Amino acid sequence: AAEPWPENAALYQQLKEEQILLSDNASSLAVQAFLQMCNLPVRVVCRANAEYMSPSGKVPFIHVGNQVVSELGPIVQFVKAKGHSLSDGLDEVQKAEMKAYMELVNNMLLTAELYLQWCDDVTVEEITHPRYGSPYPWPLNRILSYQKQWEIRRKMKAIGWAGKSLEQVLEDVDQCCQALSQRLGTQPYFFNKQPTELDALVFGHLFTILTTQLTTDELSEKVKNYGNLTAFCRRIEQQYFEGHKDNSATAAAGSAKRSLLR
Amino acid sequence: LQAYAKFSGAPLTVNTINNSWRPPKGDVPVLISEDIVISQPAKILNFLRKQKYNADYELSAKQGADTLAYIALLEEKLLPALLHTFWVEAENYCSVTKPWFASRIPFPLSLYLPGKMSREALNRILLTRGGPPLFSLTEVEAQIYRDAKECLNLLSKRLGTSQFFFGNTPTTLDAFVFGFLAPVYKVCFPRVQLQEHLKQLPNLCRFCDDILTCYFRLTVSGHSPSGQDTADANLQKLTQLVNKESNLIEKMDDNLRKSPQHPPRKLTTLKLAAGGEESSPLNRLSP
Repeated sequence: AAEPWPENAALYQQLKEEQILLSDNASSLAVQAFLQMCNLPVRVVCRANAEYMSPSGKVPFIHVGNQVVSELGPIVQFVKAKGHSLSDGLDEVQKAEMKAYMELVNNMLLTAELYLQWCDDVTVEEITHPRYGSPYPWPLNRILSYQKQWEIRRKMKAIGWAGKSLEQVLEDVDQCCQALSQRLGTQPYFFNKQPTELDALVFGHLFTILTTQLTTDELSEKVKNYGNLTAFCRRIEQQYFEGHKDNSATAAAGSAKRSLLR
Repeated sequence: LQAYAKFSGAPLTVNTINNSWRPPKGDVPVLISEDIVISQPAKILNFLRKQKYNADYELSAKQGADTLAYIALLEEKLLPALLHTFWVEAENYCSVTKPWFASRIPFPLSLYLPGKMSREALNRILLTRGGPPLFSLTEVEAQIYRDAKECLNLLSKRLGTSQFFFGNTPTTLDAFVFGFLAPVYKVCFPRVQLQEHLKQLPNLCRFCDDILTCYFRLTVSGHSPSGQDTADANLQKLTQLVNKESNLIEKMDDNLRKSPQHPPRKLTTLKLAAGGEESSPLNRLSP
């Protein structure tokens, strides 16, 4: 029999104010949103070495009882095994659609975020390098940043993104947002009345893009073009994050934050 | 790509490419129209769309969005397993893929190019899927095949009993799915776990067969009347489609939104329109 969800479940990510980067913040927020939607309490713990503690090398990861699970996909399955699921009400075709859209977000939005952080020289110099290694003394901070950058660039090259220009990446983000916007339409959530893990994932990425200050505003402008997407983010923020000061999305990382409720 | 061209009625004749030096960067497939050489699948599709061959005219905006999402799913879940089956799996590679390619490419490229493509495929699989907690190649392989089977199941559920993914006319998504599935379905590999799984999903098999018979005029068993050679050539082109599909996703939706929307034209009206510039002999799609 599955054990009940313990009170002291913890979600680990990097340091909010100084260290965490756009893509990791988005992933972490997606998981937080998902757990909130399932009504499962979790406290957010910030550690500089969160990435190294994680079993798959990626943040966020959750520590529940004596198990450690990382990344949204496995966490969704883990939570399902404990008896909580957001997508049980969907039929087979809808589940297929949901998985397809989640892949789209991962494929386009997450990769675009990584590209911007690690392959765009201006952003790398001004934001990524200073932030990524900030908890560590020189020269370790520089070494870690360069190592990570090299790794990400290799991956980008393997999937064919290395040759893209920033404009092309932004265009891809635009297409992705357009697709999401069209799918959402005028519904409150992607599958009408109830939020699912897809809503959590989309919220995590879009909210982070909208509220993180980068060297330019182009990325967030792309998202802002779609009114129903910004309304969607606002709705989820209000419903699931108001009144939870510790887990509040507005306290999440990045440089100066701009609240959506303006 | 060929499927897309046939769906939208574009007049293309297919030439087997026997010299990979001709395309500017060794990329295949290549479209040559009146001296303009276009070498990437995405740009070729862009070109076709601008020439007003558009198979997605009938789709609603939401269906267009769904197309993009499903293509992402295919690329993420199915493509690694396909690459593996064709290029990395030792028995398959040595007995089928390499001789195929080598027979169509002149010496000395035939020594170098298949090896390079194999290495690139392995590299891509390892970099995108091989992180911890999967530490050995066999674990990665197991995972990607699991993902691919799940993807096939999802596709089967989505297709259901309809003839194409969005009703009765084929669209970009159908072209994509066909491009991915047909090689798996038809090519005779020694190690065939993906093919066996596919055969258990009858609606996907029927889907491939339908497109093959309607648009490629092959008999269902995959052997055309003119002999094994033509079938081989067609299947080889499909193989190459698989290897290059990664570029398509990045450009597809761009074309969906930006190019002029016209209904697919039939061959005959084309010859009359556009000042006769696109007569068939001049458009050659080299696979």
